[in-house]
Amino acid sequence: MFIFTHRRMAITGEDVTLDDIIPVSHNFAIVEVSSPDELAIIGADTRVRVTDSDRDLELRLPFGSHTRLFLSEVNRSWSEVCKKCPTEVPASQFEWLTKYRRSTKGTSTDSLSAVLLQTPSSRKQSGKLSLADRKGHPASVENNVDRRGRGEENRDDLVRSSSYMVSNKAQMLAMPQFGLRDNLIRSELLKKEEQYIYIKNFRFFLGTYNVNGQPPKESLQPWLGFPSDPPDIYCVGFQELDLSKEAFFFSDTPKEQEWMKAVLEGLHQDAKYAFVKLIRLVGIMLLFYVKNEHAEHISEVEAESVGTGIMGRMGNKGAVAIRFRFHNSDICVVNSHLAAHVEEFERRNQDFRDICSRIMFRQKDPGLSPLTILKHDVILWLGDLNYRICELEVDEVKNLIAKKDFETLQKFDQLRRQIKEEAVFSGFVEGEIMFQPTYKYNTGSDQWDSSEKCRVPAWCDRILWKGKQIQQLHYQSHMTLKTSDHKPVSSLMEIGIKVVNEEKYKKTFEEIVRNLDKMENECIPSVSLSGREFQFNDVKFMQEQTKILTIYNDGQVPCQFEFIQKLDESTFCKPWLMISPHQGFLAQGESVDIQLELYVNRSTATDLNSGRQQIEDILVLHLDRGKDYFISITGNYLPSCFGTSLQTLCHLREPIQDMPLETLQQLILMTSEEVSDPITEKPLDIPKEIWMMVDHLYRNASKQEDLFQQPGLRSEVGKIRDCLDTGTPDSLPGSNHSVAEALLLFLDALPEPVVCYSAYQQCLESCSNASQCKKVISSLPQCHKNVFNYLTAFLRELLKYSEYNQLDTSILATIFSAFLLRSSAKQEQAERKKTWDFLTHFLIPDHS
Amino acid sequence: MAKQYDVLFKLLLLGDSGVGKTCLLCRFTDNEFHSSHISTIGVDFKMKTLEIDGLKVRIQIWDTAGQERYQTITKQYYRRAQGIFLVYDITSERSFQHIMKWASDVDEYAPDQVQKILIGNKSDEDQKRQVATEQGNKLAKTYGMDFFETSACTNYNIKESFTRLTELVLQANKKELDVLRVPFGEELSVADLEEEEHQADVDNSSQKNCWC
Ligand SMILES: Nc1nc2c(ncn2[C@@H]2O[C@H](COP(=O)(O)OP(=O)(O)OP(=O)(O)O)[C@@H](O)[C@H]2O)c(=O)[nH]1
Ligand SMILES: [Mg+2]
Repeated sequence: MFIFTHRRMAITGEDVTLDDIIPVSHNFAIVEVSSPDELAIIGADTRVRVTDSDRDLELRLPFGSHTRLFLSEVNRSWSEVCKKCPTEVPASQFEWLTKYRRSTKGTSTDSLSAVLLQTPSSRKQSGKLSLADRKGHPASVENNVDRRGRGEENRDDLVRSSSYMVSNKAQMLAMPQFGLRDNLIRSELLKKEEQYIYIKNFRFFLGTYNVNGQPPKESLQPWLGFPSDPPDIYCVGFQELDLSKEAFFFSDTPKEQEWMKAVLEGLHQDAKYAFVKLIRLVGIMLLFYVKNEHAEHISEVEAESVGTGIMGRMGNKGAVAIRFRFHNSDICVVNSHLAAHVEEFERRNQDFRDICSRIMFRQKDPGLSPLTILKHDVILWLGDLNYRICELEVDEVKNLIAKKDFETLQKFDQLRRQIKEEAVFSGFVEGEIMFQPTYKYNTGSDQWDSSEKCRVPAWCDRILWKGKQIQQLHYQSHMTLKTSDHKPVSSLMEIGIKVVNEEKYKKTFEEIVRNLDKMENECIPSVSLSGREFQFNDVKFMQEQTKILTIYNDGQVPCQFEFIQKLDESTFCKPWLMISPHQGFLAQGESVDIQLELYVNRSTATDLNSGRQQIEDILVLHLDRGKDYFISITGNYLPSCFGTSLQTLCHLREPIQDMPLETLQQLILMTSEEVSDPITEKPLDIPKEIWMMVDHLYRNASKQEDLFQQPGLRSEVGKIRDCLDTGTPDSLPGSNHSVAEALLLFLDALPEPVVCYSAYQQCLESCSNASQCKKVISSLPQCHKNVFNYLTAFLRELLKYSEYNQLDTSILATIFSAFLLRSSAKQEQAERKKTWDFLTHFLIPDHS
Repeated sequence: MAKQYDVLFKLLLLGDSGVGKTCLLCRFTDNEFHSSHISTIGVDFKMKTLEIDGLKVRIQIWDTAGQERYQTITKQYYRRAQGIFLVYDITSERSFQHIMKWASDVDEYAPDQVQKILIGNKSDEDQKRQVATEQGNKLAKTYGMDFFETSACTNYNIKESFTRLTELVLQANKKELDVLRVPFGEELSVADLEEEEHQADVDNSSQKNCWC
């Protein structure tokens, strides 16, 4: 089982880090934990405990069917392990894991993504696990950062991985599925906000009222409608809307409608308001209205609630919150009812922290992590916070109130003290309290609580804020309302809101898009080449020429290159060219040498001799997701008797390279069409090149040991070729073995073998009959017949000196049958024997 | 603000060597101009985002080699284009004559519904003019194309002509686009869609599964 941690919402392989690998072995176990102190709530995370010989951890998996599926899969594979090997497995069985283990320590994303991409099924699992929260490390997010920031040697890692990220980001731009472009645009827009916004003040009315389960009995106008000018926005919070058990368990209450109606009627009379949102958790309700004219500037409205009551979940205490965007400011309004009782201030602090961490607003883009309360530009917090006045007796408190010495009284206010100690509401501001405590009165009066408990008066109902450009215009209670044992409190705030200048926004937006385009264009894979034209001069038969093409990755990303074929060609280059390597990978700034090797062999020589083909090609070098480069190959080929037909050669009285190219091409064209009509003069009986080689061997090599079996020298064969093709020097250079090899190469390169392809089948059929064989030969075209007879006569001559040259009929038949009788298709073993039989008939001495 | 979906179009620049294809592209994407002629030997492309009717349109512009000897190879790139610029140089009668040949190649090798516009570049070089504006207009009319005289040098009509061709492609693909109104964050190319129509759904959903 692979366990991943992630830095932010896992979008790509870069975002997750391999944290641990747990082999699903014999002593592995995964069990669901349901702690007795936590009610099973539908939708809650599934907590599992994973144990093996040296681990014990608790993980939280998101609620849902994929978690169920995952757990059942893990258990299934575990039971299979147990079935297969009922005894314990030695650790060595998991040796393959070491390669992954190494990567758990560093931040080698390479090997990590390898893991991620393994198989579709393993990918699925790791994806899910990456959402798992390791309970042992609640701060796994910070963990990563810490680990990197700590040591000196780790800093390198950070640098490297951050640069890796940059280039990767660019690469990913090209991958539409990641939606990265949109995210980048959004974050850039945020960064450049000050370029296109200006601040405009709006007035927010905030109200909080603990109604003690009472229905509305009087107009709320004195509370909500008191400002002289109508506020732009109303956020009105209630607590203890309904104290009945029904409301607690079934969450449905008629009070919701009643109070909503009362609020609507209580809003300022001089303006029209649009209702935007209501959220209620049992008795905690928050209503949100805006002036009609502002409605179109309200967007991204989300509401959430969180219970902090019994078992940390129930809704009798807790908070509701609404977030929204007003013009370009993100605003969050929280209405909370915190834990009661004088001594429970720590509990209230705890509630505050819980609310802050547990309320998460979903975002429109699922790729972004959920928004918490504290991530907003403006936070307005109201409610029955339940902080009391401590250390003073009831009478002392009432005394101070009577004297309106609120300043002294505030010194004993728990909330003021806790804020001062930075135990709660850090960063929040509360205005000066100039009104008497709002709790606890006898319902229906302005009298302090006269019940048995005789509660100490307290400022339970409060309004705080956090954010810039906020000014409180009023902060007061409303004594005239007598429905509840609390008095309602209101605060009128002037808040500077970021308003968009459409024209400037458009400009900024365009600029961002332009920059992104630029970045993207810079990140298109690109290379530079050492040359675009490669010229191969005086290319000769079987003489290789090599040129080097250097590809240098001058782009900002690694690239994958490949030579690709053209539209109607099946290969990426001509058959006489070899490209190696023809594909590969180049890191940034790296280069590679590509060998362009030109080599004309017997299968390409004929067309080059005839001019039907030229040394001419255009290579297309393609970069994956990038450009294509054209590379020209040019050159000239020196025609050679090698690869030229016997017919043509018989018409050549001069060395082939002394012939004007046009005459040669004309000749080849005509002879290939088997026009026996002599062009100028009577053709030669046999090509002079064959004569030169055979005559040379006849005169110098009859007694040569191992003739035709000992290879010649490459360089000498080349010189012999040049001599045959140019006529200089007068006599053939090189050793006997080289001449012998040249002869064989010559025969091998003939486009039409000495025994023509068309006669080949007949040869096989008549191979057992000597006179039939002779007949086949006599049916060959004149020059082929001549060459055949000439060569076999020469071979018979050689056999006369077999005591010197160690040749015998069998050896010569073996060698020469392969060159004289060639099949146009692939030769079978049985055919090989028949061609041998065929030739043997002509090598027997008495046959002449 | 732009709507939350993107489309990707592929446009292609065609015309004789030296008419200014690379310069047009450079001016449009990077707002740069180079007076030296470094002939394009290959096929190059750049990306640009345009906003048309509040729709974010990403265009991929392919710049091809104009030299004659590469023409057989560059033809194979026509297939992927949805819009084509046929470019000539107003100071070169010859490049104007060749438009016919380019147009007939386009007919043969480009997709049927490809959108074309005619560009007469180097309009700043009026003293060397060999092709009258009227001639360009007339030719465009016979082909049923829009016509722009441009100058990469003075940045005249550059954005206009690129925007116009993109609009034409957008219009021609309107039907498909309405189908393509996908949730934001995803981007589709009409060209790719033709080839991967059936795959797309499967891919999208599996992508979601494995990362979320
Ligand atoms: N005066 C003027 N010169 C231009 C203009 N556009 C391009 N040029 C010049 O024309 C020459 C060729 O421009 P390129 O853009 O490289 O030509 P191209 O069409 O890409 O040519 P190939 O890549 O060979 O197909 C360069 O010297 C440019 O400076 C223009 O609008 N006005
Ligand atoms: Mg160019």
